Amino acid sequence: MESPVSSSFPGADESDLVEGFARVVAVEGGRVWLEPEQTKSCGTCASAGLCSIGKDLGEAKRLEARRFQLPGNLGLRVGERVVVGVREDTLVKGAMTAFGLPLLTLLIGGITGQEWGQSDGMAALGAASGLVLGLAIARVLANIFTARGILTPRFLRRAHELPQEAECHPEHG
Amino acid sequence: MEHYLLLFISAALVSNVVLMRFLGLCSFMGVTTRVDTALGMGASTTFCITISAMIDWAVDRYLLAPYDLGYLRTVAFILVIAAAVQFTEAVVRKVSPTMFQLLGIYLPLITTNCAVLGVNLLLVEGKMNFIESTVFALASSLGYSLVMVLFAGLRERLALAQVPRLFAGPPIGFITASLLALAFMGFSGMSTN
Repeated sequence: MESPVSSSFPGADESDLVEGFARVVAVEGGRVWLEPEQTKSCGTCASAGLCSIGKDLGEAKRLEARRFQLPGNLGLRVGERVVVGVREDTLVKGAMTAFGLPLLTLLIGGITGQEWGQSDGMAALGAASGLVLGLAIARVLANIFTARGILTPRFLRRAHELPQEAECHPEHG
Repeated sequence: MEHYLLLFISAALVSNVVLMRFLGLCSFMGVTTRVDTALGMGASTTFCITISAMIDWAVDRYLLAPYDLGYLRTVAFILVIAAAVQFTEAVVRKVSPTMFQLLGIYLPLITTNCAVLGVNLLLVEGKMNFIESTVFALASSLGYSLVMVLFAGLRERLALAQVPRLFAGPPIGFITASLLALAFMGFSGMSTN
């Protein structure tokens, strides 16, 4: 079945995207709810069998918290595996906004407190104030990004379909 | 200000937490198969190390040292790190649920990352004040992130290279890591005293 909506990243081909697998968990009023598949980030570690990461403990709950919605009628059914993607620079923007900006304001606040008050207490107060300010700015920026749809993952294709550029070349055998 | 800059360079490059102190090697080998994964892990770890270092400094200065409870340091620090990771998770979820979808995956891995505990214990050993501790923790974790992203980039290229079968995968990864460590040893020529 041909999907009515394909990748919708203007000016980005699929090689510029960070892809991941997700499973359709619900279709409500033409909108599709997806749950990302857990990637085993530390599966290659020799001690993976001993630590709790990657096991089912709390994993279902964690995945449920990371459910997201895709707009538009994509013609998907519950249980289908799909490939979703975000632009490569989205991850950098997200990391810089969520983590980089609060750390920068924390550092500026801490150094200002130390130089101004010449005590650990003032430095700690300055750092805490900087952190709170940074988080508040990050929240505003994140809302702007979300409203523009910059952070939202997009549907690329069904998991069993080949990407558009993956054409068959019979001349190569 | 010059003192902070020297401390920053020393912690990030000269005494790099991964390549010079050999901490966080599990994530260094496990999460560096793709640059985007390494970047996400590095950013999350940087935030958690800095936050936990600030709290651990206060715990050590005002709780453990005055009551002579130094023998509880490791246990107390592990507890603080776990709490800092939970705090970070809650903050990212509150700041932006969409960002939590992008970056939340890396947070549970940080609790068991020995680089976080290692940096916090080094702070106590260094007898630093609050702001020095914060700068040291931030610089160490940025050094960790830098190495993670550099190594992920190299491994992405190695995946496409023709490597002898016996060396394919982790063996060539370890050889590359050792060459990267040798390159970082060049920074030790920079005097930061």
